[in-house]
Amino acid sequence: MAGALTERDFVDKLEKAGFGEIEVHQREPVSLDDLTLYPLFTDELIGLMRTLITRDRQAAVATAIVVTATLH
Amino acid sequence: MSRDLMHSSEIKEIVRDAYGAIDSSTEAVAEKLYSPDELALVPRSAIERALGVGNHLRFAEIERGETILDLGCGAGIDVILAAHRTGPSGRVIALDFLPEMLEQTASAAAEAGLGNVEILEAEMEAIPLPDASIDHVISNGVINLVPRKRRVLAECARVLAPGGKFSVSDLTVGDEELPPEVLTHPATWAG
Repeated sequence: MAGALTERDFVDKLEKAGFGEIEVHQREPVSLDDLTLYPLFTDELIGLMRTLITRDRQAAVATAIVVTATLH
Repeated sequence: MSRDLMHSSEIKEIVRDAYGAIDSSTEAVAEKLYSPDELALVPRSAIERALGVGNHLRFAEIERGETILDLGCGAGIDVILAAHRTGPSGRVIALDFLPEMLEQTASAAAEAGLGNVEILEAEMEAIPLPDASIDHVISNGVINLVPRKRRVLAECARVLAPGGKFSVSDLTVGDEELPPEVLTHPATWAG
């Protein structure tokens, strides 16, 4: 997650790679509670994130997107 | 800016260690992302190791007979679903840089009775496949883990045939960065 791009950068890189008809079909906020489903996010890390990330932002620390595109 | 906080080799080592060490079920992830009908096609071993972030296969137009490449296949849940949809006249190439993930995918495909799945140990930045040899690239939650994303997308474009399709779920972030203490934690690079 720390290496994730913004959606704008992701789409821009797809265009530069030669893709077109780019559609973002879904944008699902990923909350801190969602991250607890993934074992890579330990209790220690989740606790750290709860401390450091403001409560309003904890509801969407990232966004899961679904993208389709076609190679031109 | 966050991409500069760690070197490529460090990130790969973190991802390798993190995914190799997972020893608990992630069935809840699978149940969140996939329908009961979809999960009915997938062996339990793949369901219990699901680590995706979305279900792009709901939007992917997969034709019978297509050659599909799954980048970062993990334990194989999307490979199994894609292999059912492309059918015996098509094939799914499951690519991952972790041999243990490829073993899990191969085992799940065998358990599902699928003869159209091939595994490929490789990195996404250097896909060892010929130009224009793939009809459809799929991927779930792994492009964000790769240090050189532009290189990955260029490789996808190279291996896809003209008009080839790209259907992906991945994590994105907003313009406002997470706190440095979070960005420098190894698990946030691997997860």
